[in-house]
Amino acid sequence: MKSVVTTVVTSADASGRMPSQSDLESVQGSIQRAQARLEAADKITSGFDAIVREAGDACFSKYPYLRQAGEAGDNQGKVDKCYRDVGHYMRLINYCLVVGGTGPLDEWGIAGAREVYRTLNIPTAPYVAAFAQARDRGCAPRDMSAEALKEYKALLSYVIESLS
Amino acid sequence: MLDAFSRAVVSADAKTACIGSGEIAALKQYIAKANTRLDAVNALTSNANCIVSDAVAGMICENTGLIQAGGNCYPNRRMAACLRDGEIILRYVAYALLAGDASVLDDRCLNGLRETYVALGVPLTSQSRAVAIMKTSSMAHINETNTEAQVAASNAMLQQRYNKMETIQGDCSMVSAEAASYFDRVISALS
Repeated sequence: MKSVVTTVVTSADASGRMPSQSDLESVQGSIQRAQARLEAADKITSGFDAIVREAGDACFSKYPYLRQAGEAGDNQGKVDKCYRDVGHYMRLINYCLVVGGTGPLDEWGIAGAREVYRTLNIPTAPYVAAFAQARDRGCAPRDMSAEALKEYKALLSYVIESLS
Repeated sequence: MLDAFSRAVVSADAKTACIGSGEIAALKQYIAKANTRLDAVNALTSNANCIVSDAVAGMICENTGLIQAGGNCYPNRRMAACLRDGEIILRYVAYALLAGDASVLDDRCLNGLRETYVALGVPLTSQSRAVAIMKTSSMAHINETNTEAQVAASNAMLQQRYNKMETIQGDCSMVSAEAASYFDRVISALS
């Protein structure tokens, strides 16, 4: 699992040296922003169900055709799976906020996602709509502090970028 | 390899759950103590040579047979191998301390170490004794309880190696206890 600390340790280990002064500096740099990231992660944990519901609703209200027969959301089971997938992505974002890198999203969310969605004939635009709603709905200081919101939005943008 | 943060992620992922507020509180603790931790890692890396060579010297002083003909540190080549191993172990302890998680130490250093030493005929008791001395002197460097008086009492050669980190004094009991636990892990892996 990639994070700032593991990256630093891996490269130090590859050359067989002690963690250098600059390694410690880069760890400290990431630690300084960790407070904000953990705040955002905490808010996702506590508001998880509400965020997922709102994001999922947004995608079906923007693309109502999905519920028509023969489309990706034509029965309740498929709709539930859409909400579940949105939840998965939000959970991975929660992880990314904790490790301070995009490792969890890259490894567990994005790698292969495009191929899977294409094979299952699922459009990715509705997911983009859902995450855009989650991103644009966030507001500081109502939901979290400005720094935390910046980290949260950056990761949602990263997901949107990978799906579009 | 994991660190304190990715450890929380991997265990949360096994439950398909978000990272709970308990874990987040523990990570906030890591962050609050991050500077202490970095100072401790710095204390180990800046004094690595001193810690390792004193430990090996101490090990030999207690058991001089090691450097007599037939001893395991007898030709310089084997003594050098011993010093190198001490430094490698200290390096992985430093990595583990930086990461706040023992996985890097376990996976990359301790896994198979005992079997290797047994196969090479390295005496495990001497090796664990050297690690125990490294632990004691690392604690002194991290807590800055090493004093000039202590050094002067032993001998003059060591006095040249005396190095005080001059960091801001504070409570580093948690980090030093964690570092001690990594040394203990090495010792128990060897015994």
